[in-house]
Amino acid sequence: MMLVNYIASVILVVLGLYTIITKKNLIKIVLGMGIVDYGINLFIVSTGYNDGGTAPIYNMTELVSGAYFVDPVPQALTLTSIVIGACVDAMALSLVIKLYRQYKTVDASEIRRLRG
Amino acid sequence: MSYVHFPVIAVMTLFMGAFLTVVLGKHSRAVRSFLAIAASGIAFVLIAMLVKPVLIDGEIISYWMGNWNPVNGYAIGIGYEVDQLGMFFALLVVSTILLSAVYSLRYIERDSSQEFYYVLFLMLSGSVLGLVLTGDVFNMFIMIEIMTFTAVGLTAFRNTGFGSVEAAFKYLVIGSIGSSFTLFGIAILYGQCHTLNMAQLSAMLSGNHSPATLMAFALMFTGLAVKSYIVPFHTPAADAYTTAPSSISMVFSGMVNKAGVYGIIRLVYIIFRTMDIPAVQTLMVIFGAVTMFIGVTMALAQHDFKRLLAFHSISQIGYVITAVGLCTSLGLTGGLFHAMNHTLFKGLLFLCAGAVLRATGTTNLDQLGGLSKKMPATTVCFLIGAFSISGLPPFNGFASKWLVYQAAYDKAVTTGNFLYVFVTIVALIVSVMTLASFIKVTQAAFFGQLPERLKDVEEVPFLMQLPMWIMSALCVLSGVFYNFVDKYLLVPAVSAALGVSRYIDSMMGSGYAAEKCVTDIQASGVHFSYWNPMVWLALFVIVLCAACLCILTSKGSRGEILEGDGEDGKYATFFSGEKALPSHVGGSDLFWGFKTDWKGYFNIMEGLHSGVVNDYALYVVAAAAIVVVFTFMFMR
Repeated sequence: MMLVNYIASVILVVLGLYTIITKKNLIKIVLGMGIVDYGINLFIVSTGYNDGGTAPIYNMTELVSGAYFVDPVPQALTLTSIVIGACVDAMALSLVIKLYRQYKTVDASEIRRLRG
Repeated sequence: MSYVHFPVIAVMTLFMGAFLTVVLGKHSRAVRSFLAIAASGIAFVLIAMLVKPVLIDGEIISYWMGNWNPVNGYAIGIGYEVDQLGMFFALLVVSTILLSAVYSLRYIERDSSQEFYYVLFLMLSGSVLGLVLTGDVFNMFIMIEIMTFTAVGLTAFRNTGFGSVEAAFKYLVIGSIGSSFTLFGIAILYGQCHTLNMAQLSAMLSGNHSPATLMAFALMFTGLAVKSYIVPFHTPAADAYTTAPSSISMVFSGMVNKAGVYGIIRLVYIIFRTMDIPAVQTLMVIFGAVTMFIGVTMALAQHDFKRLLAFHSISQIGYVITAVGLCTSLGLTGGLFHAMNHTLFKGLLFLCAGAVLRATGTTNLDQLGGLSKKMPATTVCFLIGAFSISGLPPFNGFASKWLVYQAAYDKAVTTGNFLYVFVTIVALIVSVMTLASFIKVTQAAFFGQLPERLKDVEEVPFLMQLPMWIMSALCVLSGVFYNFVDKYLLVPAVSAALGVSRYIDSMMGSGYAAEKCVTDIQASGVHFSYWNPMVWLALFVIVLCAACLCILTSKGSRGEILEGDGEDGKYATFFSGEKALPSHVGGSDLFWGFKTDWKGYFNIMEGLHSGVVNDYALYVVAAAAIVVVFTFMFMR
């Protein structure tokens, strides 16, 4: 039932990796890293979904063995992952600014002082 | 029973130290130094106090955060589990942290924004310690991410320097691809097993692999391999080790890539328990052998002190991965012993490089020379480190490399597989090439003539020498008293890595492993006969004396001593003292003949290390694809 989500998430991850590999612009590389993260976030939150389940908010008296709700753990994981993804993007962009000041370019094929 | 809290407190102390440093350490150097030393010292003491219960008494500490114990056989909380394997790596981590913190006090005193250095340093330390102690895969992912961030930040710390921001960016891109693969694998595992606890995952996955879990295995293996910088994921490591401050290069090579190695061991031996499948062994041994060889040949071509050490670091991790991938108790012993020795000698070598950088302002081998007269302590430490990494008896590198050769050859004999014979030969050749390139560094940096520019060089202060002397002493001691190391560190760690059911039982309650039909890995347990390094040392001395005697008695064959003519004079010894041979060989090109012979290979290699981040990302993705295909072809 979540097949569409799984396929979409894999497509997002592949597109992101494709962006990182082929685009020479550093900003686009950072966007590619973001797209990989979004794909994975979609995947994680989809693994916890139960069709027809309610929100996982109960107190101890309401929680009986027949309660049917979506899995709260993947949602927590997704939130963590979103925060981490945002940090990665922010840090990468700040490094791109620094790189632009030092090299006067954002072209990956010209930023190669360290090689060999 | 209070010591069950120590692992968590140790990790929290480091993170709290980072927090306090940013709040209090902005204005006073004394405060931030005190905080850094205090936090790393407390972590060291807490982990050292666990040695008795965990390593000697053989207890496994399991700790549920907030006391959320498992319910009906399902882990619902985040668990910390300290077994002997984790403890072995935790000891390496805390020792590295403490020594590096002491070294940093004087090493970074000329830099600005020192409080941020210590914040990042303590966060990096805390995350690696957390990674080796945790029993939860998602917690492991978080720690990996913190490790990557802080490592990137520290790589770019001297951001006005040559290429450090560039190295940091490449590290971040490659590192985050690796983290993403790990996270994807963890998500698939959660979807299959609905748990994140390592012990419970191990119980559910043992011998019970569906296509989804195989995919998770391939992705997590690739992700962790990126973190341990084996070829072809090594490209950002070479850049980062070169441009980071030397105290951080030591931390990178001493514990950050060990964290990746630990993750791989934990993954293949415990979580998936796939190590007894021959295909996994082949995969790891091939990765290891390729890493060894490419690392060392790239090191031969380098002209920069720290970049050369970086490629050696990559090469030595190849030994560890190869030995661990053999899945024999001998191989595992050798692999873990080499991991420990690598932390000691490579940390020592990076500290020596840092001392040279601080004293002379450069790490370019062409501009160095004759430092032994000005910096005798650094030279002695460097020689001890170089002897250890090259595997000369009685230093520790000899002991562990010998075990690796023995294990690989033993595997070849028992399985009759030609691959392992080949790997043994590669390991021997790589060791010879390591020695060769260290002869080059020693000659280029410490002996020969002192350039005019370096006349006023001074030895580094005592606080920087102290960690170097401690590590030198450890290099010698762990080589000579190998049987103590074996008894108290390696045997417990190896039995923990092979004893899957004990790991599961101590976390999930006894009998859980038997209920899920998990059996321990049956490693072909050859009881190995140890070498004796002192005998080898005696042989070494005898051969040396014999050689000296031959040279001294045969007067006629001694060539004319070459006059020290300028820069070339320091290489006179390598041209047999012949005057007629004018050398146009550059300072760091001692093995130009070898490089010329292998010109084709070196040209290809330099083309591959192109410095373009897209290419590096392509290697990672291509290798991931190969691992996935390999997994599905041979592991089903």
